[in-house]
Amino acid sequence: MNKFIDRPRFTCALGGALFTLRALPRAIPVIHASAGCGYNLYNAANAGAGYLGGGYCGGTAWSSTNVVEQDIVFGGEPRLREQIRSTLELIAGDLYVVVTGCMVEMIGDDVSSVVAEFADVEPPVIAISTPSFRGNSHDGYDMILAGLFETYVRRGIAKRDDTVNLLGLVPGQDAFYKGNLTEIRRLLERVGLRVNTFFGEGDTLENLQNASEASLNIVLSDVYGIKAAQAFEKIHGARYISLPLPIGAAQTAEFLRGVGEELHRTDAVERIIRDEEARYYDYVERVADIYNDVDLQRYAVVAGDLNYVPAVSRFIADELGWLPHLAVVTDDLDSEQARRVEKRFTGWESDVRPLVKFDTDTSAIQRYLREAWEPDRNERYYDSFSPVVLIGSVFERDLAVKLGAPLLTVSFPVTNRIVLNQTYAGYNGGLSLTADLLGILIAGR
Amino acid sequence: MMNYINLKTPPVREERLGTGIAFGGTACELRCAQREGCIHRAGRTFSQTQGCQFTLSLGIINTLRNAVVVMHGPVGCGSCSIGNVGTSQAYKRLRDPNAEGLIWLNTNLDEVDVIHGGEDKLREAIRYADREFRPEIVCVLASCVPSLIGDDIEAVISELQKETAATLIPVHCAGFKTKAMATAYDDVYHGILRHLVKKPEYSEDRQVVSDDLRDLQRKYRESRTVNLLNVGSMSWQDETELKRLLNALGLNVRWLPCYSTGEDFCHALESALNVSICGTHDDYFIEHLQTLYGIPFLIDTMPVGRKNTARWLLKIAEHFDLQKEAGRLIDFESRELDLALEQFRPHLRDRTVFLGGGEIRVIAMAEILQDLGMKVVGFKGHHYDQFAEPLFDSLQDVDNVIFNIATQHPFEQINLVRRLKPDLYIGHSGGGNISAKQGIPLLPLFGPSYNYMGYSGVFEVARRIRRVLSNAQFNRKIAQHCPLPYKDSWYEKDPFSYIKKEV
Repeated sequence: MNKFIDRPRFTCALGGALFTLRALPRAIPVIHASAGCGYNLYNAANAGAGYLGGGYCGGTAWSSTNVVEQDIVFGGEPRLREQIRSTLELIAGDLYVVVTGCMVEMIGDDVSSVVAEFADVEPPVIAISTPSFRGNSHDGYDMILAGLFETYVRRGIAKRDDTVNLLGLVPGQDAFYKGNLTEIRRLLERVGLRVNTFFGEGDTLENLQNASEASLNIVLSDVYGIKAAQAFEKIHGARYISLPLPIGAAQTAEFLRGVGEELHRTDAVERIIRDEEARYYDYVERVADIYNDVDLQRYAVVAGDLNYVPAVSRFIADELGWLPHLAVVTDDLDSEQARRVEKRFTGWESDVRPLVKFDTDTSAIQRYLREAWEPDRNERYYDSFSPVVLIGSVFERDLAVKLGAPLLTVSFPVTNRIVLNQTYAGYNGGLSLTADLLGILIAGR
Repeated sequence: MMNYINLKTPPVREERLGTGIAFGGTACELRCAQREGCIHRAGRTFSQTQGCQFTLSLGIINTLRNAVVVMHGPVGCGSCSIGNVGTSQAYKRLRDPNAEGLIWLNTNLDEVDVIHGGEDKLREAIRYADREFRPEIVCVLASCVPSLIGDDIEAVISELQKETAATLIPVHCAGFKTKAMATAYDDVYHGILRHLVKKPEYSEDRQVVSDDLRDLQRKYRESRTVNLLNVGSMSWQDETELKRLLNALGLNVRWLPCYSTGEDFCHALESALNVSICGTHDDYFIEHLQTLYGIPFLIDTMPVGRKNTARWLLKIAEHFDLQKEAGRLIDFESRELDLALEQFRPHLRDRTVFLGGGEIRVIAMAEILQDLGMKVVGFKGHHYDQFAEPLFDSLQDVDNVIFNIATQHPFEQINLVRRLKPDLYIGHSGGGNISAKQGIPLLPLFGPSYNYMGYSGVFEVARRIRRVLSNAQFNRKIAQHCPLPYKDSWYEKDPFSYIKKEV
């Protein structure tokens, strides 16, 4: 049994499902749930993901059955049937996906047989069950992808050795998902691969339908997207590898080598790494003056989701030469998942090793800080935990104020930034993270 | 006399007020239908997501200072609070520079809880909230799931109240219970009335010999104090303006419930009159305060627009026999405002506006627009019931203006706006991108950092409309590049074709 959470940094399965669909071009969700579910989740993920917005047909435009007590008592199927019919009449889309909230799941509405009545309709109507008492928004992403792989992606088309799918960055949870996908795709294309990102720039539903051509799924996460990749393997017979979201030159080189080895493209990979690193350090060299002239080394606390916390901690330790002393992963994980994430804090080039904690509670971070650094006991000479920078979510703002530390928000919720095409992944991501972190230190100059 | 105080939950508004959420016709037809008492039966064959009792409860609950919110439900319920993390803290700090930000716990109900019940988790969460944050109040909001599985929230609360320092307030706000989302306010006030409102205790009251002078002073102060019932959509600037006007009549103002602390509710009964700012928000509270404690109340208009403000002031003044003073104040304010508005009138005259949002707000706002010589070509209200009626008195020639009742539901509005081609859309937050795609400029219907109320509110709205109308390029460009999702055939259909009279 899991426990309550002090300010959760994710929403529910339905939330993950809706924002995954929102990121698919012209996919129209039909929400079969209570009236408030969609709008509530829109308000969470819009603001939390750096003002992602409702998009083509989201936010208050989302089609929703808005079931009430009488539907709960007598069953919500008639209302769903009526809603699918009217949605098809009104909304122009290329794929209609019925997703479900807690109430209709609890009363056992037979959603698939209602949807089966629309089997002959073009564009297709499919149903994917997304009960929120069975998972959070990261699970919702997996549920939607697994559902699409099952019902929408073409079966039996020939595999291509040069085609891969990218998984593991959850739209509406990773505020930078689109910029990150773009950067990783850019690098993999340089290696000569065809890359389906599903939610990236220029992606289409056609790409998604043909995703079964891929001979490999690359999951950019230790947890998110794994279940989807496993479903893909079962349905479409392609293996997957899980490599962590890479930030900066060192991690990206490791990532590219991982992919290169898997796909036997090691020579090409080495060439590209050399080339990218030269470009990368041409930029980083710029700040070598200011960094050393005014001492921009910092202690750091990193808090947030399991994709960002290890990658950011390692980046600031191994590349920026900073000192992350505390890293708090705020996901709700089982011990096996936590073990996988914890491994990402080892094998670093620097000797820095933060205290790593797994805790979903926002108020816990301050307590761990006392563990990570000897508190001030009013000594005459006190080696204080300063200068320090906080890297996390907007929930860290109060702690940052208490510590007198600047805060950079990178992990959900990111309500104090506008995020468009920025990336923190790959080489370009390392450059933007360097610029953003050093940028807040020199903002007063 | 309203009295639901002994029920576990208040009745839903469809039953209590005949509130309707689906209607299309003219303003005149809408008012007729409301009088006939039949609009609450209507629904839609196509619906879009909207607010629910849970999220609207947060509209009040998230403003309370010294409070922690426990959201009892699956982990997504109430996650909309994420959008208020920064603003909520900022607005609280306008009232108290040391105020804490928004803190909430979610009980994270999972499949096991759905089968075995979530009460243990709720206990844990309440205990943690009390111990970790030491708040004055812990508000427990129960969502759909615990309501359906039958968690006994009241029992958990009365059990834990014995061991917690904080006052525990249950709010039963399961979203599936009603489509009239404003029922949320009744749920919140129900909890406040049952758990927070009480006679204050003064140490002097325990003295053996009573102090007549002190008692008289207290009575006098009470006889000159009004409680103003603020709403989450109001701003600090709105409050400052309304307080200024009532202070000018020699009245003291106490604000409840938004941005109050628990202790403020202990003084709720030390007032001569409870004054509503929005009947949709607070009738349940102030009618109960009359039933239970004998304090008179006033529910009439919303002080947005000069006629509405004057009417609101006069009604309050009447209670205190201050009509003459109020009349002088109104004349003075009105003259000053006229001079100030002169510069905007030429720019605004005859421009057309479509208004969408809370029914009280949209009708009140129309008065400002008519005052500025603008034309209201259409209304959309979240719902409709008796509380909107007094606001029509301040308007001219709106009988034949289209009035759509729809809680959010932008699809009907999009169709109407396409037909009516207004120069400006004034709307409730949450549909910005959808309206933007029609390429017309938009002014928010309310905003907790802008002034809309009182005389200064009229001036602020006028100068903002002028600004917004002076460059609409952002939305024009969006409209050129980002299509709306509705099929072309929709615009040829009657905008109300998905409304059914009987659900």
